[in-house]
Amino acid sequence: MLSIKNLHVELEDEDKKILKGVDLEVEAGKVHAIMGPNGSGKSTLSYVLSGKDGYEVTDGSATLEGNDLLDLEPEERAAAGLFLAFQYPVEIPGVGNMTFLRTAVNAQRKARGEEEMSAADFLKEIRAKAKDLKIDADMLKRPVNMGFSGGEKKRNEILQMAMLEPKMCILDETDSGLDVDAMKLVAEGVNALRNEGRGFLVITHYQRLLDHIKPDVVHIMSDGRIIKTGGPELALEVEHNGYADILAEVA
Amino acid sequence: MAEAKLQETATEAMISTLSMPQGGWAQPAREDALARVRAMGLPQRRDEYWKFTRPDTLTQAEPVPAAIFEHGDAPMFDGIDRLRIVFADGEFDADASDDLSLEGVKIERLATAMSDLHWARDLYGTLEKNGQNPVPRPLAALNTAFATDGVLIHVTGRPSKPINLIYKHKSETSDAMLHHIVKLDAGAEMTLLENGPAAARFNTVMEVDVADTARFHHVRAQGRDHERRAATHLFTRLGTESLLKSFTVTVNGAMTRNECVIELTGDDASAHVAGASVGDGDFHHDDTVFITHDAVNCESRQVYKKVLRNGATGVFQGKILVKEGAQKTDGYQISQSLLLDGDSQFLAKPELEIYADDVACSHGSTSGAIDEEALFYLRARGVSHAEATDLLTLAFLAEAVEEIESENLREEIIGRLSSWLERRSG
Amino acid sequence: MENVTLKENDGVKEGVDQETVDAVREVGGKYKYGWSTDIEMEYAPKGLTPDIVRLISEKNEEPEWMTEWRLAAYDRWLTKKEPDWAMVDYPEIDFQDQYYYARPKSMIEKPKSLDDVDPKLLETYKKLGIPLKEQMVLAGVEGAEDIPAEGRKVAVDAVFDSVSVGTTFQDELKKAGVIFCSISEAIREHPELVRKYLGTVVPVSDNFYATLNSAVFSDGSFVYVPPGVRCPMELSTYFRINAENTGQFERTLIIADKGSYVSYLEGCTAPQRDESQLHAAVVEIIVEEDAEVKYSTVQNWYPGDEDGKGGIYNFVTKRADCRGDRAKVMWTQVETGSAVTWKYPSCILRGDDSQGEFYSIAIANNMQQADTGTKMIHLGKRTKSRIVSKGISAGKAQNTYRGLVSMHPKAKESRNYTQCDSLLIGSDCGAHTVPYIEVKNNSSRVEHEATTSKVDDDQMFYCRSRGMDEEEAVALVVNGFCKDVLQALPMEFAMEAQALVAISLEGSVG
Repeated sequence: MLSIKNLHVELEDEDKKILKGVDLEVEAGKVHAIMGPNGSGKSTLSYVLSGKDGYEVTDGSATLEGNDLLDLEPEERAAAGLFLAFQYPVEIPGVGNMTFLRTAVNAQRKARGEEEMSAADFLKEIRAKAKDLKIDADMLKRPVNMGFSGGEKKRNEILQMAMLEPKMCILDETDSGLDVDAMKLVAEGVNALRNEGRGFLVITHYQRLLDHIKPDVVHIMSDGRIIKTGGPELALEVEHNGYADILAEVA
Repeated sequence: MAEAKLQETATEAMISTLSMPQGGWAQPAREDALARVRAMGLPQRRDEYWKFTRPDTLTQAEPVPAAIFEHGDAPMFDGIDRLRIVFADGEFDADASDDLSLEGVKIERLATAMSDLHWARDLYGTLEKNGQNPVPRPLAALNTAFATDGVLIHVTGRPSKPINLIYKHKSETSDAMLHHIVKLDAGAEMTLLENGPAAARFNTVMEVDVADTARFHHVRAQGRDHERRAATHLFTRLGTESLLKSFTVTVNGAMTRNECVIELTGDDASAHVAGASVGDGDFHHDDTVFITHDAVNCESRQVYKKVLRNGATGVFQGKILVKEGAQKTDGYQISQSLLLDGDSQFLAKPELEIYADDVACSHGSTSGAIDEEALFYLRARGVSHAEATDLLTLAFLAEAVEEIESENLREEIIGRLSSWLERRSG
Repeated sequence: MENVTLKENDGVKEGVDQETVDAVREVGGKYKYGWSTDIEMEYAPKGLTPDIVRLISEKNEEPEWMTEWRLAAYDRWLTKKEPDWAMVDYPEIDFQDQYYYARPKSMIEKPKSLDDVDPKLLETYKKLGIPLKEQMVLAGVEGAEDIPAEGRKVAVDAVFDSVSVGTTFQDELKKAGVIFCSISEAIREHPELVRKYLGTVVPVSDNFYATLNSAVFSDGSFVYVPPGVRCPMELSTYFRINAENTGQFERTLIIADKGSYVSYLEGCTAPQRDESQLHAAVVEIIVEEDAEVKYSTVQNWYPGDEDGKGGIYNFVTKRADCRGDRAKVMWTQVETGSAVTWKYPSCILRGDDSQGEFYSIAIANNMQQADTGTKMIHLGKRTKSRIVSKGISAGKAQNTYRGLVSMHPKAKESRNYTQCDSLLIGSDCGAHTVPYIEVKNNSSRVEHEATTSKVDDDQMFYCRSRGMDEEEAVALVVNGFCKDVLQALPMEFAMEAQALVAISLEGSVG
């Protein structure tokens, strides 16, 4: 599904290398987790994959189902089936949450040559999906993420994921700023979307999210590289011993 | 001084091209206004409130010709049941207008309202004259002296539908001057709509007297002819517990100067003025607002949004003056510009002048490019760059449109803005 | 406590007890520095003519080019008009009814060292709390023990009416390569530096008062910090107007060469007199590549009495030019004195990535009028500016913030943030905000916010329910309101400023 080979990335403005050769394969139907200390390059990876400005890819490749992602505009990547749940969802004053989602859903359909969703169908679907995530009508009406609590913002990200039905989902520190109940709700939302055709890349600093979203593969990232890969037990190891042991072991 | 002499010459040159309608109840007010024009002289670049806007095309004797723009869209406010009063190049068009009768309101034309004891006599030029201090507005006085026509609307009740002044532009060299008077009796409520390019050059004055507990809604869509020029003046006096809501949308136009002078003279009155403008290329748009609080517990809001590209210029000069004793004033003002490219400019002077202590007044002004974070967020959800830009631009403008009370009118304006934006980027 | 009804014209709010009102009245209008020094003075004749200009130049033993420069400024001044756009109102000034030069007779022969200075003058500065001995100025100041001994030194240039009395720590500064002396001395000793920089930031023809100053400035301070040098101590100038009917026209020139750093403090006081006095200063700062200058002012000229009698007319032109890339300048001002203030310390952000900051507290009480603010002229790429202005109006005072933020077409990706707050105490004063914003490129972002309100009732009630009287409560709340600016001041100034805020507002409550 998602294939990253020898990816090297620098910041455009400063001469600073962030990713120094990342190799990663996420298969359809699988959940991969990336863990690592702060500043290891986890969030950069998610931004580079989704096409944010300010990063320069100096080497390597990233493809989604064989299509080169790095050459595409952000919206083309989204239409190709890539979805990033933001660590800090952006507040957009004046744009209603519903308008936002409907514009996005139809833009992607149009890009894929599909029919636009009718207003009635859209309403029906969003209401049902919002209900599962305990998102009330008021949240749907308000401007995108404006005045949302941390938990509401993350739930809103999952709602977008549910509506857009992407092939490959990247969750960037979706657990940050969430209490236990909110995390459960978010995890349930994600788990409901797990299926054979869909890949997940869950980026997290802590193991606790992985109690709820059980990964198939766990990678440890440090200083711009994936330094260790293993099964779910690797996450537990980090939980008990921190990153220091693993870093020492690899070094 | 040489400058004063030049100004005098320019003023006299302008006056010599105009002829004052003779006779009738408005005559003394017109003569008085002409004296004011001569005393003030026409605006000059060095005047404090003309720093950001070159007055010359508005003050030169002959107007700059303006091509007529055939946009092919359905007429503005077409879907709204309204009473239409049409002026073409400043001349009343009886055939295109509806019958000037509506329950709860008495409508006459300035050019034909001849009775000597006309109710409008006490208002004609009065609010304009009051509004000359402390900031002179010579073009408004010029209008009072020479306006050829206009409507006199006396609102005694609550008319069932809005009155729509429609300004058509037919001659490329027309120079039109209209003067309207609106008087709302206590408890009355009406909505006035204005739209159309009007003329190559258009000068309007509207004097609105809102009595206690009356409510006046004003929604204006300025004409989209690219080369038209306009200087508009809205003078409003508000009584106790009365309300004014005025909104203007401007798309295109080579030169627009919208002056808005509001005086809150009765306690608990409320004035909301707002504007949304979209300029592309040869576009200069200036909102100059002066709100005076002269009573207790009044509220005023100014919400102005400008979207500029390809060298367009947006100007905002807004002032809240709170007079001594105008306690419990709540004054708010926001002016924001969205610059879509590097050539456009935003010039602003948001002012507060406050002589009472128990007040809460604030203003904010921002200028900048489109929010990159929001743009990326939208694109990451699959929305194209152009569509995302439109969506954010519309959202930016919508905050000003929200100031319109009627949902129908809000939707009409939003719908127009959205289709204009779409067409531009498409 | 018994509430009394007050006469309307008292301007006192309901619910204020008489005792507070009386107590407040009693302390109202106190100005700590209102005494004068009885000292024999030498004056130039009253009035302004080319001869007076020549005389000033001669008294300062200036070279020919300087005299010519002044005379050219004088000619220019004759053609200029006094600015009338500020929101200040004062009787017409008779510029021929002023003394333009006054110096203590004891200063005719220049003292060789500070030890030779007239004891009366030394006493004056001692009384003002300004040590002209080379000692730790902060000794005894709360919190001073936390600062390393080196950091506590402050070099002082003391200007008394038209002349500099002396400058401390000159030798120690010389070792570091820093020149700190009076401007008259600099014209004599470092003419090449003065000639190169004088009038290059504030041109002779800049404005009426700056032109006047260029013709008649008598003294002031000069600072040159060579490349790469971090000035080893704070520099300060203390201005004292003492003589009657005498204008003070000081001129300050600060040059921070590449990669240098200096922090400069300025203080001012004047005696309490019934006649108003004129003060028209010019400060020019040149900041080269990677250099940084901090300029702090506590302006406490005599403000006049409660009825507006007397006080200093303070017409000042201050400007910094960030000529090099990454140059940085920070203006901090606490304006509590003067009857009329007309002052806009500005930054020209010419170098790429240069930065300008302006922090201001302006307090106007009784009949004071202040029209003050800043200009941030963004010319270079990625330049940044920040403006934080806190205006407090009380009594019958008028306080105006006036500012300009200009983003030129070439100042790509620049930023400005302006926060401009006004506080009104009492119903007879005024607070005004007049910002000009000019944005001519779209990659720059300008944000301006301003608020005007009265002292928060809830905060006042909270303080008073904890036992503070009204005046203490106001002082506390106002200090909180000013906190962002007070924090920007060097510590020794911050303490003084905080106390000054409270003193300036005495008599404002009720």
